[in-house]
Amino acid sequence: MRHHTEQMQLPRFLWVPFPLGRPFGAPHAPDFQRRVLHTALSLLERDQGPVLDDFPDDAPAPAAEAGDAAWSCPTSFPTAADDRPALVVAALDEIARLEPWLEQRVSSGHPDFAPIAPLSLREVVEAFGALIEDGVLPDVGEIPLQEWVRLGCDDLHGFAIEASKAQPGRPSAREREDWFWNETAIAHLIGATATALVADESPLVQGLARRAMVPRIYMSTLMPDVDPFI
Amino acid sequence: MVRLVDLDELERAHLEAKACAPFDSRPWAKGPPLAERRVALVTTAGLHRRSDSAFSMVDLSFRVIPGDVDLDDLSMSHSSVHFDRSGFREDTNLVFPLDRLRELEAKGAIGSVARFHYSLMGAGWPPTAIESTARELGRLLREDEVDAACLVPV
Repeated sequence: MRHHTEQMQLPRFLWVPFPLGRPFGAPHAPDFQRRVLHTALSLLERDQGPVLDDFPDDAPAPAAEAGDAAWSCPTSFPTAADDRPALVVAALDEIARLEPWLEQRVSSGHPDFAPIAPLSLREVVEAFGALIEDGVLPDVGEIPLQEWVRLGCDDLHGFAIEASKAQPGRPSAREREDWFWNETAIAHLIGATATALVADESPLVQGLARRAMVPRIYMSTLMPDVDPFI
Repeated sequence: MVRLVDLDELERAHLEAKACAPFDSRPWAKGPPLAERRVALVTTAGLHRRSDSAFSMVDLSFRVIPGDVDLDDLSMSHSSVHFDRSGFREDTNLVFPLDRLRELEAKGAIGSVARFHYSLMGAGWPPTAIESTARELGRLLREDEVDAACLVPV
C-alpha cells in the first residue's frame, strides 16, 4: 500500500495502481509488463532517496476480461447451506459439469490446471462433507490438517475459475470471483467447512478457518456468524 | 500496489490497520548503470516449481527458481485468499516477469539475468520475522554476483 511505503521509507519503491495479485498490470500484455519492470529497475540509477515514484498508467483491460454485467456461468446451482448432504452432492455435480469446460480450455491451448493438494478435488469435497456431517477429517499422512485443507480450497477455487473461462461471455476477474463465491455449491461447502473449523482447538486451524479459506469480503454470506476481523 | 479506494471496505480497513514502522536505518547503495547490472527477481507470491514442496500457511522459508525455469512449471501456494490469482494462471509473467527480464537483457537494457531467483510467501508473520531468511538470500545473491534485485509483492 502506498501510505505504508511512505511510512517505512524504503530506499526505492515504484507504486503501481493495479489490482492485488497483478503487480505487472495485466496478463498477456508483454510490452506493458516490460515497461513496468524497466521503470522499477530504472530507480536504481537515481542519485539520492528515498524514492517513491508512481507508475503513471492504469493496466490495459485484457480482451478476455472486458467486463460483462450480464454474464452468468451456466453451471450455477441454487444452493442451500443448511442442507448439508445436498451441498456435497451439488459440489460434486458442479465439478462433473465444469470438467468438460476445463478440458475445452486446455485443448484450445491454455495451460492445464495443476492441483497442488495431496487429495483430488472430489476427495476434498467428500472430506469436507465428512467434517460437516460427522465432525471428522481424514488423516493425510504427515501433512497437517491446516495445510491440505487450505491447498484443497485453493484447488477447488482455481479449478472452477479456470473452467469457467471456457464458457461464453467476458466477465471481469471480479465478476468471476463474485460468481464463484456467491453462486456455487463448492464455495458454500468451503464456507460451511470453515465455519465448522473455527471452533477447532488448534490456533493454526482456527487461523486457517478465519483467514485462509474464504475471502473476507464474502464471509458475511458464507460464514455469517464469524467476525472477519478476529 | 493497489489503490486503497479500489478495495472493498472490509479489505481496505484490514490493510489500513497494518502497522509498518520505519526501519532504524536508511541504507543507500549506488552501483553501475542498469545496462551493466546482473538482475534477480525476488517475489513474495509463494511461487515454486511443481516438484518443490508447497509453502505452509505461515512459512518463513524460500524456494529457489532457476533462471532457465519453464514458467509453466511454477505453482502458487500463497496462503492469502484475498488477491486475484486468475491472471497469474494465465500468464506467470504477470507476477514473476522472468520473460520480460530476459527481453530486457536481449535489448541491452540490463547486463544479465541472474542464475537463480527466489520466492517467499509474504503472509502470516510480521515483516521483521523474515529478516534471517532475507539475509541468507542476500548472501546467495551476492555469490551469484547479482547487483540488482527487483522485489515483487503480489
